[in-house]
Amino acid sequence: MNIAVCVKQIPDPAVPGELDPESHTLHRVGKLILDESDSFGVEMALQLADKAGGGDVTLISMAPNNEVSGLRTALAMGAAKAVLVSDPALAGSDALSTAKVLAQAITRAGDVDLVLTATESTDGYTGTVPNQIAQLLGWPSLTFAKHVEVEDGKLTIRRQTEAGYDVVESSLPAVVSVTAGVVEPRYPSFKGIMAAKNKPVDQCTVADLGLSSDDVGWSGARQEITNVAAAPAREAGEKVEDDGSAHERIVAFLEALKVI
Amino acid sequence: MDFAETDEHVMLRGAVRAIAASYGHRYYADQTRRGEKAEALWAAIAEPGFLGVHLPEAYGGGGGGVTELAIVCEEVAAQGCPLLLILVSAAICAEVVARFGTPDQRQRWLPGLAAGEKMVFAITEPDAGSNTHRLATNARLDGDVYRLHGTKTFISGVDEAAAVLVVARTGLDDAGRAQLSLLVVDTDAPGLEKTPIPIEIASPEKQYLLHFDDVEVPADRLIGDEGEGLRQVFFGLNPERIMGACISAGIGRYALAKASAYATDRVVWDVPIGAHQGVAHPLAMCKVELELARLMIAKAAWLHDHDGDPSAAGEAANMAKYAAGEAGLHCLDTAIQTHGGNGLASEYGLADLWGLARLLRIAPVSREMILNFVAQQSLGLPRSY
Ligand SMILES: Cc1cc2nc3c(=O)[nH]c(=O)nc-3n(C[C@H](O)[C@H](O)[C@H](O)COP(=O)(O)OP(=O)(O)OC[C@H]3O[C@@H](n4cnc5c(N)ncnc54)[C@H](O)[C@@H]3O)c2cc1C
Ligand SMILES: Cc1cc2nc3c(=O)[nH]c(=O)nc-3n(C[C@H](O)[C@H](O)[C@H](O)COP(=O)(O)OP(=O)(O)OC[C@H]3O[C@@H](n4cnc5c(N)ncnc54)[C@H](O)[C@@H]3O)c2cc1C
Repeated sequence: MNIAVCVKQIPDPAVPGELDPESHTLHRVGKLILDESDSFGVEMALQLADKAGGGDVTLISMAPNNEVSGLRTALAMGAAKAVLVSDPALAGSDALSTAKVLAQAITRAGDVDLVLTATESTDGYTGTVPNQIAQLLGWPSLTFAKHVEVEDGKLTIRRQTEAGYDVVESSLPAVVSVTAGVVEPRYPSFKGIMAAKNKPVDQCTVADLGLSSDDVGWSGARQEITNVAAAPAREAGEKVEDDGSAHERIVAFLEALKVI
Repeated sequence: MDFAETDEHVMLRGAVRAIAASYGHRYYADQTRRGEKAEALWAAIAEPGFLGVHLPEAYGGGGGGVTELAIVCEEVAAQGCPLLLILVSAAICAEVVARFGTPDQRQRWLPGLAAGEKMVFAITEPDAGSNTHRLATNARLDGDVYRLHGTKTFISGVDEAAAVLVVARTGLDDAGRAQLSLLVVDTDAPGLEKTPIPIEIASPEKQYLLHFDDVEVPADRLIGDEGEGLRQVFFGLNPERIMGACISAGIGRYALAKASAYATDRVVWDVPIGAHQGVAHPLAMCKVELELARLMIAKAAWLHDHDGDPSAAGEAANMAKYAAGEAGLHCLDTAIQTHGGNGLASEYGLADLWGLARLLRIAPVSREMILNFVAQQSLGLPRSY
């Protein structure tokens, strides 16, 4: 079974992000790293390929400046190869353009049975790209998987819900977005780290994917960021004085937050 | 000249950091307090092959060098989990077996060592101290076994290892100095008595006094050539010194990170204490000393791995060990000072590392013996002993 995993390479979340004052988009300077959310998809793919008794795990990424640092991390975990789309024409791409690029890159990878993504990226977190990729490929979209299984060509996931989970089945090929709980990502081994640098990364441009630069970047974006405002300062918390019923109010508060 | 870490090194560092950070100093201190080992952490580091990065691939290692092992050793320590046995087992013992062992011996021990099994190392004796020429533990060939007699002291981790690499005298040279040889001895060999030595260091390893009373060691346990032990040990001592330096540097990084966070947060007048130069400058000085020491560690590891002039590697390894030993202790002491009373509170995880940081000025080689080495080898000064 061949699996494509979309992996986003993002600025280190530990470093405070900055917006470009002109375009209001995220400043992407310096080295990018593998979005931790995507390490779950990579691990899931490696385990599924292993269970299926073979097949390649191919990484799919769109990133500026031919960035490969994050890809190397996922290759060190065990993915076989990568397709990287990098092109100055992509600057300013919105989520739909990103999905178009990723869908084409998946097609370029060829012979893919299953696409895995995270449910949302750590830096952009629109959470829209996976569905858009599925729509563009014309494949079923299964979301919020906290468990994934493939047997006899049939895909079954457990879809995380507030109350528990739904069991969703589908034929292949399909696109599945996985949650952070789906599997425990492995640490790359030393052999994996040393092997990563020799694994193939297919670097391509917008034109290589058969897309027009009008479909992507600033010109293709259907959304425009007109203004950016600072988030309002956090309001003072609520004080609960214990008159004997404090526990009930705390429970009600936590319930309203849907954490219990 | 290229001072940038390669992508592989950055990734290795990141992976080790992530594993060690998932345990952290709290785990290390709790295990120590309970008298237990840091087994789970050791296994988690060994599992992806990180304790065998420097060993040949043919024997299950990673095919890298001491440069890679230094990254592993420093990074674990920098998360507050200094592991002394990396220095003993992975650095000295594995390096010596890999370099001087026969193919059979390598096959016998290296795959296990690469996977995280431990072999410990015994050179120090109560009456010989820093003077290895006075080592009295002796091994005499009797048919197809060596008979081993003598006493070793302060031997770390004997309870965690199946075997101990013993430096013993097998003869005398013309000048009457000990000719030394290396023997791999089972830690459960009949005639070997192990007595724990109480030590004021809060780390999970224990130290032992070892008595060898006519211990039979099969002759095929001799590593390398009889009488060449000292020269062979010297080869293993460079990695050992480099790892000692790495543990110090890791403790230094850990301490400075804690101190910087604390000094940015803690306000007792109207600015964070880190804004007072009396607090900031000592920390900045520590940072300078630490980074200089780390640079020498990288150089020493590079020289060792590039197999050029062994005396150049020895000089750099000694200097790295000296500089890092001083810097690590200075960083820790300054971090404790920065924390005020909290510097001594268990919760802050600093003072309990003092014993180990202090040890690294004495062992595996004392600062005075390093200064002797530099005085004589680098400066050509005469010697008093
Ligand atoms: C105004 C604007 C300007 C932009 N400028 C740039 C730019 O200059 N350069 C640039 O590269 N992007 C640019 N982008 C794209 C943007 O950063 C996001 O990649 C895109 O909008 C996807 O949105 P998201 O991160 O919210 O994805 P989500 O929908 O939150 O992501 C869900 C999952 O989809 C997958 N995924 C998403 N994005 C990628 C990706 N890029 N590669 C691989 N997998 C992915 C991951 O698995 C991810 O976890 C720009 C976007 C906007 C709106
Ligand atoms: C916790 C711990 C773990 C250890 N683990 C091991 C182990 O696993 N295996 C092992 O073999 N050993 C181990 N050791 C022993 C350690 O390596 C020795 O303690 C160290 O090498 C110093 O030797 P010594 O204690 O005999 O000091 P001595 O040689 O007695 O020296 C005492 C002092 O005199 C100074 N001195 C001696 N000679 C000179 C000179 N010529 N010029 C100037 N100053 C001099 C020394 O620097 C030192 O300050 C360990 C020790 C400790 C405390």
